[in-house]
Amino acid sequence: MQNRPSGFGNPWLQLGLSVVCVFASELLLKRGATEVAAPDDAFSWTGINGLASPLVWWAIVLVIASFISWLYVLRYIPLSFAYPLSRVVDILVPLGCLIFLGELISTLRWCGIALVIIGLALVAKPIAKMEERL
Amino acid sequence: MTFLAFLFILISLVTFVAAQLILKRAMEFSATNGMRNSYFMSRVAIGVVLMTVSFFLTLGLLQRFDLSYLYPFQGLSVIFITILAAVVLKEKLSARLTIGSLLITAGIVLVSMS
Repeated sequence: MQNRPSGFGNPWLQLGLSVVCVFASELLLKRGATEVAAPDDAFSWTGINGLASPLVWWAIVLVIASFISWLYVLRYIPLSFAYPLSRVVDILVPLGCLIFLGELISTLRWCGIALVIIGLALVAKPIAKMEERL
Repeated sequence: MTFLAFLFILISLVTFVAAQLILKRAMEFSATNGMRNSYFMSRVAIGVVLMTVSFFLTLGLLQRFDLSYLYPFQGLSVIFITILAAVVLKEKLSARLTIGSLLITAGIVLVSMS
């Protein structure tokens, strides 16, 4: 982890940007999908009709941006360190659903989300180590 | 949740994990062999196709379900990786991995009932 660039190239900043891009892309995809939703049309299972929404295109841009900054992060920070940190997005997304999407989240669903987050926090490090070797 | 929806959730997760691993292999290969070869190009192409399949299936699912409902299912990807590591790397399951995987599974069951 030597010779780490500073400023915009700082890998910790890029890790944060990557997480924010994933978070924002998830919310934009949901908004976009809702805009064009055609649940009675079987073709819409393919999701292709989603391309009619500009929000979906913004989400695609953010997905690509998050991917590029993630690859950059991995040049400086090992996966077994960066991956567990990046899982903070698992806490941000449900909060975003509540705050920005106005989804009604029942107590049962919150309990399930909490169990998934705790489980992910437990396995993040060993999983990243396995993924490095796969 | 219909059977079809659950099937699409599974396919979108499996294709996503497979794409990640294939792209990772391709990047590792390019570090020593460069990018101008058919092995690298074909792996990247397969990875991108799988990512695209995963993306559009998710877009279809998001038209039908809340994000707070669908998102926790991504935890299943961790379980796929655990199974894959057990099969390919003959990795033994640690107590930490077992407990974590059980918590994730229990959480997803609760979410799917909500």
